[in-house]
Amino acid sequence: MKINEIVVISGKGGTGKTTLAASLIPYLKDLIIADCDVDAPDLNILLDPKIRSTYGFVGLKKAIIDPKKCIKCGLCEKHCKFFAISKDIVLSQSKCEGCGVCEFVCPVNAISMVDAIVGDLYESTTNYGDFVHARLVPGEETSGKLVAEVRKKAKALAILNNKKNIIVDGSPGIACNVISSLTGASQVIIVTEATFSGLHDLKRIHELTKKFNLKTQVVINKFDLSPNHSEMIEKYCSENNIIVGLKIPFTKKIVRSIVKKTIPSIGEKEFFKEIGFLKFIDSLTQS
Amino acid sequence: MKISICSKNKGLDSLVDERFGRSENFTIIDLDTMAIETVENIAKNQASGAGGEAVKLLAKYNVDIAIVPHLGPKAETAMEAFEIKTVSQEDYKSVGEVLDAYKAGKLKEITKKKGLTRL
Amino acid sequence: MRIAVLSGKGGTGKTTITSNFAVNIKNSISIDSDVEEPNLHIFMDMKDPTSEPVYTLYPTINKDLCTLCGKCGDFCNYNAIIPAKNQVVIFNESCHDCGGCKLVCPTGAITYEKREVGKIFKGTTKYNTELYYGLLNIGEMSGVKIINQLKKYSELNEETVFIDSPPGTSCATVAAVEDVDYAIIVSEPTPFGVSDMKMVVEMLREMEIPFGLIINKAGLGDDEIYDYCKDEDIEILGEVLFDKKIAELYAGGKIFSDSLPQYKNFFSDIYKNIRKKRRSL
Repeated sequence: MKINEIVVISGKGGTGKTTLAASLIPYLKDLIIADCDVDAPDLNILLDPKIRSTYGFVGLKKAIIDPKKCIKCGLCEKHCKFFAISKDIVLSQSKCEGCGVCEFVCPVNAISMVDAIVGDLYESTTNYGDFVHARLVPGEETSGKLVAEVRKKAKALAILNNKKNIIVDGSPGIACNVISSLTGASQVIIVTEATFSGLHDLKRIHELTKKFNLKTQVVINKFDLSPNHSEMIEKYCSENNIIVGLKIPFTKKIVRSIVKKTIPSIGEKEFFKEIGFLKFIDSLTQS
Repeated sequence: MKISICSKNKGLDSLVDERFGRSENFTIIDLDTMAIETVENIAKNQASGAGGEAVKLLAKYNVDIAIVPHLGPKAETAMEAFEIKTVSQEDYKSVGEVLDAYKAGKLKEITKKKGLTRL
Repeated sequence: MRIAVLSGKGGTGKTTITSNFAVNIKNSISIDSDVEEPNLHIFMDMKDPTSEPVYTLYPTINKDLCTLCGKCGDFCNYNAIIPAKNQVVIFNESCHDCGGCKLVCPTGAITYEKREVGKIFKGTTKYNTELYYGLLNIGEMSGVKIINQLKKYSELNEETVFIDSPPGTSCATVAAVEDVDYAIIVSEPTPFGVSDMKMVVEMLREMEIPFGLIINKAGLGDDEIYDYCKDEDIEILGEVLFDKKIAELYAGGKIFSDSLPQYKNFFSDIYKNIRKKRRSL
């Protein structure tokens, strides 16, 4: 049984990934939910999760200098390519990328590489299914790995409990976080907005998703803000064989729903029905 | 000839692990002697590049054929470099079932996709 | 003086706010360090920029010297270099460019080649100001190298530099914000805005960078952000009211303070306030 893993990304931030992902949730049966925006997770705000397990997340190793052994020869500082060691041989953990060169060059074995817990991964229960989410300590580099961990846990839960669908709320950008969300997924939804920036950034994120050969749909949020840009986005999509799965007009109703911490497609059922939301859901679950 | 199967636990009753690079263990079977050993996958906790490291581990144990789920591009490249053949584990649930299916010739060899883009 | 503009949450208005500052503060320079999805140059209408590539290094093996001893593979914490049966497999994009493999190689078989990870563009905007932005190549894992290079440009002169930062609180944002004199958080009065702002506040406090908040799309949300600021003693530098006219100008890539007289002095007043604060620190 192949699991239907739907990943929601955007390229540009703030187009409405989490709002859309959350809105899909109540309409997908047999579901596991994953929040892979590990730098700034927000899905939990709308899902009221009950955490049942917490796992410490180990990222890259970090170097630790033993001041008792250190002779301040400066070899470590000289070799560190990440400027993580100062001239007076003080190590900045946040800059350390765990390469181990300092440990190797230290003549007196004053440096050791240790596993560092740089975040937490949570397994929770919600009204709509099990929910896997995580939080990374700000500034940490290994968001790509944590994203992979969240997805793997979600997949394991899906297989264990015979769930057909996984919905993944992704992160903005085009780098390691996003790449990590896309490998091995079943389909991707790119949420964009009808603005100059929205179109510009859509092209970049699409360049990335193209490499993955996944079924791709675009959702245009706030499309009536600039019908001109909405048209340009639709033109780009048709030129590139991407389906525009849904167009959402700007409405204060959605913000009000979020402020009340309610999933918008539940709080404003009529609005979502009118824009063709149910047809969009079908397109996600048909093989 | 030695084959490996991604496994959650020890023994033929163990469930197959649906991951390769971060599989819990590898069950290695010597088809000539039918000796079975389970090796912990030290790559599973690596920050990145677990796939490549897991392949290194299999090479260390002289595995000839690895029975695997979906492989990432790095693991595929490493398998090629170590000359380890890869075979799909399909949907079989237990290590024993995978072994039987392999012996019955039911499992397909994984060939590298043409024009695979390595990211 | 270097001022970073950041948000935590995407889409709160970092670029909108940065561009409006850049246009209203005479002789300022702007840098767009959101190298994954840069937009500032669009709003500032930059013509004919020059570009320079940003490189990272990756190892290459001299097959005549390599004995496949495996020491490089054992050393590499990123599994970017893996000696195999008859060759050494190298995953360029996993290489962190630490120099370790070369150090441990007993036969001197490893040298480094450079490869491009992205570009830096520089030029003049329609407003006659200098602008720099970075662009990460698609498929690359991290833009930090480009951001570090961009930051070097911000050290070059005495003018005020506005740095448009990436969303989130990852290493890219830290690189953009590191060592600035002041940070302006731009957020929106919604639960997502507040939640992500808290992470940025934690990060800025850890980095010991003074900061204040501009609330964008004020009126479209609730009061939680005001309560949070009061509890945490965070200064609200100003508010931009939610206005469909502003949204439409933004959609068209326009700078709103050009068109809306009520915001004529908004940005320069906040800037003067920040300068005064800096002098007293």
